[in-house]
Amino acid sequence: MALDIKIPAVGESITEVTIGKWVKKDGDTVKADELLLEIESDKATFELNSEAAGVLRIKAKEGDVVQVGAVIASIEDGGVAAKPADAPAAKAESAAPAATKAAAPSAGTGEVKEIKVPAVGESISEVTIGTWAKKTGDFVQVEDLLCEIESDKATFELRAEVAGTLETVAKQGDVLPIGGLVCKIKVGAGSAAAPQAATSAPAATAASSGGSDYAKGHAAPAAAKILDEKGISTSSVQGTGKDGRITKEDAQNAQNKPVEKAAASNGVSAPKAPAGSRVDDRQKMTSLRKTISRRLVAVKNETAMLTTFNEVNMKPIMDLRAKHKDAFKEKNGVNLGFMSFFTKAVCQALLEYPSVNAYIDGEEIVYHNYCDVSIAVSAPKGLVVPVIRNAETMSFVEVEKEVVRLALKARDNKLTIDEMSGGTFTITNGGIFGSMMSTPIINAPQSAILGMHNIVERPMAVSGQVVILPMMYLALSYDHRIIDGRESVGFLVRVKQLLEDPTRLLLGV
Amino acid sequence: MSYDVVIIGSGPGGYVAAIRCAQVGLKTAIVEKYSSLGGTCLNVGCIPSKALLDSSEHYHNAAHTFKTHGIELKDLKVDLGQMIKRKGDVVKQTVDGINFLMKKNKIDVYTGMGSFVNKNKIKVTAADGKTQEIETKNVIIATGSKPISIPPVPIDKKRIITSTEALNLTEVPKHLIVIGGGVIGLELGSVYSRLGAKVTVVEFLDTLIPAMDRGLGRELQKVLSKQGFEFLFKHKVVGAETKGKEVTVKAENAEGQVVEIKGDYVLVAIGRKAYTEGLNLEAVGVKVDERGRVDVNDHLETSVPGIYAIGDVVKGAMLAHKAEEEGTFVAERLVGQKPHVNYNLIPGVVYTWPEVAAVGYTEEQLKEAGRAYKVGSFPFKASGRARASMDLDGFVKVLADKTTDEILGVHMIGPRAADMIAEAVVAMEFRASAEDVSRMSHAHPTFTESMREACLAATDNRPIHM
Repeated sequence: MALDIKIPAVGESITEVTIGKWVKKDGDTVKADELLLEIESDKATFELNSEAAGVLRIKAKEGDVVQVGAVIASIEDGGVAAKPADAPAAKAESAAPAATKAAAPSAGTGEVKEIKVPAVGESISEVTIGTWAKKTGDFVQVEDLLCEIESDKATFELRAEVAGTLETVAKQGDVLPIGGLVCKIKVGAGSAAAPQAATSAPAATAASSGGSDYAKGHAAPAAAKILDEKGISTSSVQGTGKDGRITKEDAQNAQNKPVEKAAASNGVSAPKAPAGSRVDDRQKMTSLRKTISRRLVAVKNETAMLTTFNEVNMKPIMDLRAKHKDAFKEKNGVNLGFMSFFTKAVCQALLEYPSVNAYIDGEEIVYHNYCDVSIAVSAPKGLVVPVIRNAETMSFVEVEKEVVRLALKARDNKLTIDEMSGGTFTITNGGIFGSMMSTPIINAPQSAILGMHNIVERPMAVSGQVVILPMMYLALSYDHRIIDGRESVGFLVRVKQLLEDPTRLLLGV
Repeated sequence: MSYDVVIIGSGPGGYVAAIRCAQVGLKTAIVEKYSSLGGTCLNVGCIPSKALLDSSEHYHNAAHTFKTHGIELKDLKVDLGQMIKRKGDVVKQTVDGINFLMKKNKIDVYTGMGSFVNKNKIKVTAADGKTQEIETKNVIIATGSKPISIPPVPIDKKRIITSTEALNLTEVPKHLIVIGGGVIGLELGSVYSRLGAKVTVVEFLDTLIPAMDRGLGRELQKVLSKQGFEFLFKHKVVGAETKGKEVTVKAENAEGQVVEIKGDYVLVAIGRKAYTEGLNLEAVGVKVDERGRVDVNDHLETSVPGIYAIGDVVKGAMLAHKAEEEGTFVAERLVGQKPHVNYNLIPGVVYTWPEVAAVGYTEEQLKEAGRAYKVGSFPFKASGRARASMDLDGFVKVLADKTTDEILGVHMIGPRAADMIAEAVVAMEFRASAEDVSRMSHAHPTFTESMREACLAATDNRPIHM
């Protein structure tokens, strides 16, 4: 049996790619996850890895331009390179070929389906196993939630591909590469009967072994102490001990649910130490936190970043909002917030200062003719940056609705990779936490980021008079490599202008 | 001196609390009234009584079972002085061990009577009257308990004695009258019964060890009767009189008639009460309940924040291991940890022979709670190991939930039951079912196989060896 290697969907706007350099030759024996070739798109170069082990048959030459989805090679089974995991299955098949064939689907052939970490996004190479919804021995139906998978960008749900009996392999907190084995499902409808029988005759379970789960979620003494100290209830912990008992290890690995965490500011819920205690707590960084840390440092090191400031009189916008917010809400079902003003003002300014909306790709500068505005949102697990696409074409209502939609998904950890990738410019609002002034860090590979701050009444000199006005400082951090001072300052002044006189947005002046 | 915590009383509750406090990094001091650390348990309780129980058990076996084993002895006799001396050595070595542990953990030991000046200041009054004051952030009261006496039977410490004197007799009584059929009376009664005394137990209730499962009391009565004990149940002691070497105990039976029992020693073992004398609790406002026990909340904190109490001086079973759990609990709480004490799973033990041990709910409690349960019982008569050692009395009884099979109580009387009960505690802490235990391999031949057999009986009534 041969497996076709196709061009994956590498990005939404990419329809065709150029075959780059083949790392493997026709007829080579390749292992799963081994690099096969490079593919070039108009945006970036991607690597394509083998999805299976076998003998490579190349069908597309270097330099060929092919459509996304086109078959460029196939992997033929066999040879010594067969994956170890496949070996026993293959042996079993050859030992009793007739029997296996006859046994048809779903009849509990004992076939074991391995569930692996799916490719969740182009830049994601490893994931962290989150909470298990099922445990070893559970019978799962197709599409049943098995466990959560956390990547550095988002949390995914891993669902059962087949019905059968689950055997977990990876534990909560394990870090696995893409393609890593998460669990196995012993395919078969036969086992479905077992739990049913057990529940239909509860009296009998006492006598028969293993059927009873009265102790599910019971914490062993040491586990109970640890959970209490962490402030986690036993009901939110998946016990891996006998019949679902919570072991000391379970308790040690237990983390607060995201919902509870959200209460703490910015998800940085360091465990509360008792007064006077000098005990330090060490926690593993989540993969999201690791990525944030790596990227922020990279930006600091690899760009020529600096920040320019300005201040904006918020009174006109506040007056406008006060006047129309009720009607706006009534008509559109969404509040008229500041984000729509800022987004629209930024889009207008971006179109006028294209270098602020551009990025460096190697030795070229890529200018965007559209404004995909990323919005920094504080999610339970850390900072995420969903994107409002084509914000320049959106109305105020559309922007507000999109902001609400993305923020809700961020809060529930439901943002997809697509919703977070791309983006040509970022807005971050430290004002909601009370920040007066800050120097935000660029969201790479973008070249600039606008920082909003809190609104404070300040005495301002207006036409020789001191007037108290609601003022906000604005900060624009930018990459000086492609944005000159004239553009960055001009951009920020333009944003200020548009915000202080929002009717300009209407007229585009 | 100034401390994070001062513990008053150095019994198993106090010294364990002190060690745990030191382990978690608290600057700790312990105050003990007597010159020797260890409290009742080490000095005049658990340890010395076990020493005498073991000695007397050897004598009893030599006199009664050696012949069957094929060992002939001539001129077998009791040297009580040596027995008491050996007991003293055992106590001394154990106490020295505590002294070493205090030093090792850098715990300051103050000898003298501890009393409150205020909630952060303890006055220690030495035997010679010298006093010193120590400052502390927290206090743990671990002053334990003292034997109770009843007005009709005034203790003279010579003929009418408590457990403390019973550990230091110079002669084996001819007829020891034990008032109270509880743990202490039966253990010390056993010592002298084995050494040749006639022992009569006068009990107000109609059963022995009344707090335990009734089945255990019945079996223990049967076995002890065989050993020569006499029991007078439902007898209320109304008086005692000493004339020279003879003591006469007067008791009213169920019919209201007064009977007289004559003996040469009377052991009053009707219980113990919390001991708080001299603590000057009034000075800080620590409340006590109607039985004189220090009132504590679920965290063992008294009515005064920063003052805690553990062990016999608070409510609950008066057991050394209960006090130890509480000592650890308070120490860890002080530094913000959150341990638990599962009071239902603190085992009760009686060191008669056969030993009695139990944990969890009794049949009486389950019946009262209306809980549906199953009983699995296995007699040591059917155990090969027990036959080999001629310990055929007793049984293991396992109570399990009727539907879930979860073990709810284990009650055993038999050889080494006190050690065997640990298995039941572990199983129950993990909420094991009877079948769980019966599916775990138990080494053969051991007494613990009987636990497994009882579990098999409870699971499905399918013991192998019965």
